[in-house]
Formats: sequence, C-alpha cells, structure tokens
Amino acid sequence: MSDKNKNLISIIVMSVFLFGTGFICWFHGEQEYSLAERRYLKTMPAITWENVVSGRFMSDFESYTQDQFPARDTFRSIKSGVALFAFGKKDNNDLYLADGYINKLEYPYRQESAEHAIKVFSSVYDKYLEDTDCKVYYALIPDKGYYMAEANGYPAMDYAAMEQDFINGMENMTYIDLFDVMSLEDFYKTDTHWRQEKITDVAAVIASAMGKELKAEYELCKIEVPFYGVYHGQLSLPVAGEELFYLNNEELDGCYVYDYTNMREIEIYDLEKAQGADPYEIYLSGPLSLITIENPNADTDAELVVFRDSFGSSIAPLWVESYSKITLIDIRYLYSGMVGNYVAFENQDVLFLYSTMVLNNSETIK
Amino acid sequence: MLFSSIPFLYYFLPAFLILYFVAPKCLKNTVLLTGSLFFYAWGEPKIVLIMIASILVGYVSGLLIEAFSHKKVGKYIMILSVLIQVGCLVYYKYMDFFIGNINNVFGTGIPLLKIALPIGISFYTFQILSYTVDVYRGEKAQKNPINLATYIAMFPQLIAGPIVRYKDVAPQLPVKGAAILQLIDGKWNKKVHLEGRSASVEDIACGIRRFVLGLGKKILLANQLGELCDVIRMTDEKTIVLYWLYALAFSLHVYFDFSGYSDMAIGLGKIFGFHFMENFNYPFISGSVTEFWRRWHISLGSWFRDYVYIPLGGNRVPKWRWFFNIFVVWMLTGFWHGAAWNFILWGLFFAILLVFEKLCFLKVITKQKVIGHIYVVVAVLISFVIFNATDLTEAGQYIGGMFGFGKLSFISAETVYYLRNYIVILLFSVVGATPLVKQLVSRLYQKPVIKNIMAIAEPLILVLLMLVMTAYLVDGSFNPFLYFRF
Repeated sequence: MSDKNKNLISIIVMSVFLFGTGFICWFHGEQEYSLAERRYLKTMPAITWENVVSGRFMSDFESYTQDQFPARDTFRSIKSGVALFAFGKKDNNDLYLADGYINKLEYPYRQESAEHAIKVFSSVYDKYLEDTDCKVYYALIPDKGYYMAEANGYPAMDYAAMEQDFINGMENMTYIDLFDVMSLEDFYKTDTHWRQEKITDVAAVIASAMGKELKAEYELCKIEVPFYGVYHGQLSLPVAGEELFYLNNEELDGCYVYDYTNMREIEIYDLEKAQGADPYEIYLSGPLSLITIENPNADTDAELVVFRDSFGSSIAPLWVESYSKITLIDIRYLYSGMVGNYVAFENQDVLFLYSTMVLNNSETIK
Repeated sequence: MLFSSIPFLYYFLPAFLILYFVAPKCLKNTVLLTGSLFFYAWGEPKIVLIMIASILVGYVSGLLIEAFSHKKVGKYIMILSVLIQVGCLVYYKYMDFFIGNINNVFGTGIPLLKIALPIGISFYTFQILSYTVDVYRGEKAQKNPINLATYIAMFPQLIAGPIVRYKDVAPQLPVKGAAILQLIDGKWNKKVHLEGRSASVEDIACGIRRFVLGLGKKILLANQLGELCDVIRMTDEKTIVLYWLYALAFSLHVYFDFSGYSDMAIGLGKIFGFHFMENFNYPFISGSVTEFWRRWHISLGSWFRDYVYIPLGGNRVPKWRWFFNIFVVWMLTGFWHGAAWNFILWGLFFAILLVFEKLCFLKVITKQKVIGHIYVVVAVLISFVIFNATDLTEAGQYIGGMFGFGKLSFISAETVYYLRNYIVILLFSVVGATPLVKQLVSRLYQKPVIKNIMAIAEPLILVLLMLVMTAYLVDGSFNPFLYFRF
C-alpha cells in the first residue's frame, strides 16, 4: 500500500471518529442521574454574561461534558480496566478488588478526625448523660480494610491507634470490642456495609455487653433483585450482583417505627427501596436523622438510644426483642446540640456505634 | 482550554476543523485567528484583551522599526517596544514576587497586587519580542495585522509553545494559493500567494499521529505520574526511596506533560500546514547537562541563546565574562519558569553545572559515558525537586531526604505499595523517555509485510488510543496542566 493511501486511511478513520464523537457530544440528550455513581450529574450551565466573564461557565461546562459524555459508564469501565489490568495499578480511584471483595483505601489513620469525633461524643455525654442514670457504651465497627487490606498488600490505617485513642478519650463510657467478633465474610462484596444476616453474633455481643440476651429467631428473607453495592458503580468493573437478605419475625412486624425527619410512620424494612438507587436503604429507610422503634411485645420496658451511622440501620432491628423503645440518632444530619429537644435522657442504655470509616472522615459528625 | 479536555477534543476541535477547511484560502488565517482568540478567551475571558493589546503594540512597533530601520529612532522604537512587552510580563507575572521580597527585606507592608497570571503570557511575550527584534535585525515587518496576530495567538502553540520564532514561521503565514487584494499605485490588484503554507495529505496524517501521541503522553503518562507525586507529597510516612521515587516521578511527569503538549502543538500545526521546530529530543539520554539543554525545551534554550546570550557576547569574551553570561542566561531561564526563588535557584543550579562542565568535567564524562549518564539523571532529578518545591526550605528537605538526612527509614510498606502501584507506568515512562520505541518502530516499518499490516492497524490503534484517553478524561477530573503557570 502506498504511503499516500495509508495516510488517507488514517485521516478518514480519525475524521470519522472525531467528527462522529463530536456530533454525538453536541447533540445527545442529558442524563439527570447516575445510578452507578449514585449522584446527580451536572447539567448544561446557564449562559449568562456574568457566568461567561467570570469563567464559571467554562469550568462548569467542562464538568458538564465529563458528566454527560455519551456512554459515560462504559468509558468509566474502560478506564478502570485499563488502569488495573493494562497499567497494573493496584487501585483505581482508591478502589481495589481483592478476594472478590471491592474496597476503598482507607489510609492513613487521621487522628485529628478521630479526635473530632471523640470531642463531639464527649460533648453529648457532658451535656445530656453525665448526671443521669444512663449506661453509656461505644463500639467501633471495623471496615473491610481491617480484614483485607494488609493481607492483600494494601496500606491499612492504624486501627490499633484509633482504638486506643477512643479508649483514652472516652473514659466515661464502656468500650465494646468488635474487631475480633467480625470477619470479612460479614460484609457485602460490592458495598461498604455489613450483611444483616451475618451480624447476629455482633448484635449479641453488643447486647450482652449492655446486659441483654438475644434469643429471637428470624426468617431469612431474600430480596429478589440483585444487589449492586456503592463500590460496584464506583469501580465500574463487571462484578456480579449479590443477594440481599433481611431478617424478619412477628415481633419485628409488630413494631411501630416513626421517622421524625419526615413526620411519618415507616416500616422496619422498606422493600420499595430495593428497587431504588441504594437497596441497602431497605433497612429503616436509609439515612434519617431521628427514628424511634417501639416494640409493644418487648420482654422489658428498657430503652436504648443509639448514636449511629448507616451501619446502625441494619443492626438495630436485632435488638428490638430486648427494648421497648429504640431511638436512633444520626448526628451527621442532626446537630448533636439539638438532640435534647427530642430525647429525654434518664436511665436508658446509650450506645455510640460508628464505623471506623466514618470516624476516619468525621467532618460530617456535628 | 486544554488540549487534553473533552470541550477541546469533541466540541472545539471538530467545529473549528470544519470551519477552517471549509473557509476559502484567503480567510483561513482569519478563521485561525478567530478560533485562537475564542480558545484563549475560553480560559481567560477578560485577559484576552491584554494579549490583543500586546499584539497591537508589536504590530505597530514592527512597522515603525522597519520604517526607521536606518535611523537611530528605529533602535529606540525597538527598545521601547521591548520595554513595553517585558514591562507587561513583569507587571502580571513578577510584581508580587518583587513586592514580597521588598517587604521581607525592608519590613515594609506594600500590599500584593494579586493579579491573575494571564495564561501563556511568557510564551506569547517571547514571540512578540522575537518578532520585534527580528524586524530590527532586518526581517521584513508583517504588513498584514491578521497574519501577525495569527503568528502570536495561534492556538496550537499559544499557551505552551514551542516558542516559534518569527523568522522561522514568517514564510508559512500566507496560505499558498490564497488571493488577496493589494493597493498598488492607487489601484486594487488581485495577487495570489505563490508561496506559503499548504497542508498535504502526509502533513495532515502525520499531524494527527503526532497529536494523538502527544495526548497519550499527557493523559496516560504525565497525569498518572502527577497523581503519584501528589500522593507522595501528601503522605506523612516519607522514606529515602520515596523521595527518590518522587524525584523520578516528577521529572518524568514534567517531561511527558510538556513534551506531550509540544507534540500536540506540532501535530496541530502540521494539520494546518505549519512546521514548528521540535521542542524535545529525548533529553534523558544525554551524557552531559550541556547536551541535556540541547534536547530539553529547545525553543526556549535557543531563544535565550539568540536574544540574550549572544547579544551579551556569548563565549567570545574573556572567561570571567563568559561565565557571567552563562549565569545571567540561566538565572533568567529559571525566572522565566516562575516568579519564585526556587525557579531562580533551579536555573542557577544548571548554570553551576554548565560552568563546571566547561571548566573540566565535560572531558571526563565524554570519555566515561556511563558516569556521564548517571550524573545527568541524578542532576536532573535533583533539579526538578528544586523546581517543584513550594519554597527553598521544602527543596532542602526533599533533597536532604533523598540522601538520608533526617533519620529516615530506607523503605516502608507504604513506599513498596506506591512502587508496586505505579511500577508499570514508571517502566513505560522510563522506556518512553528514550528513543527505543521509535527505533523499534522504524525497524519494523522497514519490513514490507509489517508496513502493510500497520497501514491498516495504525488508524485502529489511534482510535483505540483516543477511546482509552477519552475514558480517562471522562472518569477523572485530575487533569491539571503544569505549564499554564509559565
């Protein structure tokens, strides 16, 4: 083949690619939401004189073109595959795949973050709990990295240092150690969270530390749609969906659950959420700042108040048998100084239950 | 606008190419200039006026210098024009540096101006200076303001070079075959340019290849190495190996970032029929620092040689004056890169090495080539640590760290992780910084069978590369371009 023909082929092929892709970019429709990334995508910025002169339009337009690029998820998969398999990267955007589990690098240990959390928890104790008959406990939920990072050659945060800092900083409260109770199998492969059907032992250990014994038996109920956790879309590799289960029994069916954020009654398990962007939200309807679970059939009239993150949503129903009322408070969404407006602390069991992942990034705890 | 961005690749470039190639020959420069101003205004909507003003000063100065070329006034106009251009550069780029230092030395409280640095001001100012001085030296002034503005503002080389010299590009500014109207003896006559630029099929294909290659260097190598540098800078657990890894990664990052951008500029230029000078020629294989600077940022080095070093007397002066000239040129070279002491130190570091080589060391490393290569690599790695330091203290800390000062561990599990995480990219980068791949491809192309296979495979490889690079752009927002600040 002559050089001229070869050059012509190159020009034609590249022109088709460039103008074809350009045409699609210019004229394809907008997508509002990315299911894979669980976020709203940027839409076309407004063309105003102020926006253009300040340069804001241009920077927003760049974000818009990235977010609205045709077949965006496919391109993200290509990038993930090239980074991990062609360039031999150990992680892609801090996410890695090992032993079939996807995890995010949580490294290094950010002591100032833990100190912030300790400060907030201590201020809650000082303000509401110190002069009451409440028994106060706390537990750290190790994230997946504790069980899989170092074993697979990834850097892991200093969990021992974090644990020690909490023990030193929260001397007024009783520590419940969960590090040896749990294992990697307790977690979803594609999500940050633990599996409810695997943590009955964790619930029992915590309950036991609070002087309660769990005896209830549950029916294992399966959600029929495959579960793709939050890391699945972020890593964007073809990893199989998982089975999502929840534990149920008559006692749970008889509970009255109230969501103070939206002033409405909700269910322990909101099965409609299984069809939504984040099926883990079936447990107590996902991120809500203040919920109460009242159990008219409880063995006792004891009450439990749990300061918690999203891990608390799936474990709290397992304590229902031992408490007539459980109050779940998420001080990432409700300022801790306002908690007294909603809860009267007298003689309840109080539990601070947080994931090490949240504690290492505790800016949202307020 | 960055070349390595979706707005450029899939919005601006296709639209611009259509307009450029559809436009009649006599309007191609107008389209190129308009597109270039839009390209510039995209990143700097207000500051585009400063560039237009600089071009106007350059244009009028050129005409006046030519008109008074045999009189002293021509020289004064040239000096005035140079002072205006340099003054503009000093005001926008260096004023806060000077004020800050005056405040530090004299304890004054002069407020900083905090002016936004116009993108590419160092590049286009040097091009206008080149034009002004070339005209003073006898080059014909450009009568067509659009042609001159196109030379200065042309988007392929506007923000990151190569610093195209006027006398090199002047013959390429008219479009071959373009008809223009000229007023001769009070009558309008149609004149067709018999000389000028034209883009052949080979030029366009070659330009496409060069552009995609440059884009690949930028996105697939430079950006990844930049990520590694950021990660290393952020970590608290530094080790000796990590400091060396940082020095290597940053040196390669700068090389692939800048040479990738130069490749893209040269490639785009070819598509429009321009032939810009090469800016990089595998500098890391150099056997001396003298050779390194013949291979690194060639357009800047030759600009300083022709417009500063030689006018100062070059090496045809007493030895002390020669070394003084070297120090002046390299201090200015460092200062050109940024308004901070670390850049000046970076330039002076090279001046010391160059003087040392000229005094004696060049003879040693010419005979002992392995020593020469090791010396160049170590010197360059150290130099880029100085280059990227936020201040002189940090430069000292990082260089000290490379040599084990500060009770550092030799290596740690974290360092091993970063090494493993980036080892393939580092290997690709190290090999890519040598001519090995180019030589291998040239050899393969000598075999007719492979040449024929590649005729089909090459466009597919280019498209595949574009897809992968697009995937990287879509996925990430990490795409800063280092040379913007120059």
